[in-house]
Amino acid sequence: MNLQAPVIKVRDVTQRFRVVQERPDTVRELFSKFFRHESKVHDFEAVKNVSFEVFRGEMVGILGHNGSGKSTLLKLIAGVYKATSGKVEVTGTIAPLLELGAGFHPELTGRENITLNGLLLGYSKREIRGREEKIIEFAEIGDFIDAPVKQYSSGMYTRLAFSVATEVNPDILVMDEILAVGDIQFQQKCFDRLERFREMGKTILLVTHSVEQILDYCDRSLVMDRGQIVFNGDPHGAVERYTGKAALEPTLT
Amino acid sequence: MIELLRDTLRYRELIWALALKDLKIRYKNSMLGFLWALLNPALMMLVLTLVFSHIMRFPIPHYAVFLLSVLLPWTFFTQSLSYAVESIVGNADLIKKVRVSKLVFPVAAVVSNMINLLLSLIPLAIIVVAVGQPFYWTWLYLPVPLIALTILTMGATFFFAAANVYYRDVSHILQIVIQAWFYLTPIIYPATFFPEQYRWLFKLNPMNSVLNGFRLAVYDGQLPTLQSIVATFVCAFVALIVGFAIFRKHQDEFVYYV
Repeated sequence: MNLQAPVIKVRDVTQRFRVVQERPDTVRELFSKFFRHESKVHDFEAVKNVSFEVFRGEMVGILGHNGSGKSTLLKLIAGVYKATSGKVEVTGTIAPLLELGAGFHPELTGRENITLNGLLLGYSKREIRGREEKIIEFAEIGDFIDAPVKQYSSGMYTRLAFSVATEVNPDILVMDEILAVGDIQFQQKCFDRLERFREMGKTILLVTHSVEQILDYCDRSLVMDRGQIVFNGDPHGAVERYTGKAALEPTLT
Repeated sequence: MIELLRDTLRYRELIWALALKDLKIRYKNSMLGFLWALLNPALMMLVLTLVFSHIMRFPIPHYAVFLLSVLLPWTFFTQSLSYAVESIVGNADLIKKVRVSKLVFPVAAVVSNMINLLLSLIPLAIIVVAVGQPFYWTWLYLPVPLIALTILTMGATFFFAAANVYYRDVSHILQIVIQAWFYLTPIIYPATFFPEQYRWLFKLNPMNSVLNGFRLAVYDGQLPTLQSIVATFVCAFVALIVGFAIFRKHQDEFVYYV
């Protein structure tokens, strides 16, 4: 396979949200607004004319302050949103980890949730069955796997969710700040897995606020500000741009 | 239409898992579990038979069978609607975080209620035998009204699921509509209870001809006329085409409103 072929192509993408102040939620409000011509609508562009590419095997970090459009961009790539204009092209299967355990149902057991969550992520029952034991092992759930997840600690919940999403072998992993949770040990385990992913030639896109994660793991980093990409290049430069000062180089003392 | 069929097939494992989840959660933490699917119609029948044949004294033989033969499919219809109307809004967290085909949610609602309906045919058969009603060969015809009913129900669920995303009043209005619809459809009473000059109004009610197919087959041991079968299917398909077209047109927008 050609390593130089981009697996994610984002071309001139804009995502516009219609922000209706006090959007009428009920028919009554609709009528009263309609007759008084009160609807205040304005458009808000969360992502503006963004273009970039991600190549196979790359780990790319996205930095940016709150509200800069990082999450919207990830959702566009993950296919949750359809871009208002522009084009998003993704080659291969994509595992969106925008929120760990989205789709977990508290009343179902861990095992039942593995199946349901896997199916929601677009895998077949057979693929999930074949990897079930590995998922459970990685998540370190033990005997709790047959208990309803409402009885899980938040750590167990997170571990299981991460395990499901990454065990089933996606080509591209898209993550939104999810590694800020869990204890240090499990975080390390997650990053070890990401490293392995990358060695296998898979692509990782990571939104984070952690400068260390960018410097330690990413090949390249984007910085977003007010819906636009203001920097696209090496992690050190990105961190510099993001924090407004030079990233600390490891120095010899 | 082809798209609907294709996507339903493609996501069949997910739809099935979602439907089973619905059922599991419905019967979870109850001691009798799935038995409720069987007990529910049986107990309902007991109450209604008591009220209508002993207290109100409807002059209808085997009233339990007369009633249940249409009440069970009616319950399927209304339960599917009640589930589906919340199916998009209720799965907001999911829709906002995962790329997932939206149609799986209303379809799963219909599937889970279909399982319930099929299970409830067992107590119906037992009741038929218990009250000494003959077991007509026309039971074999039941798949036909079942299919028509499913198509009609799907159309309605698509419409209401989509509408409720934009205006949450829809789920409240739906409950009222279902109530009124129940009394305006010959379910607890026969169509002949209505004065002759108003009976044509039933023809405007698509549920009437669908349910009539069930009652004819189970209670009367007859088949509907070909004309009525055709009319039923035409209604059902129109509902599905319109309902799905509306759903499909708006499905990419749901994520911004839930």
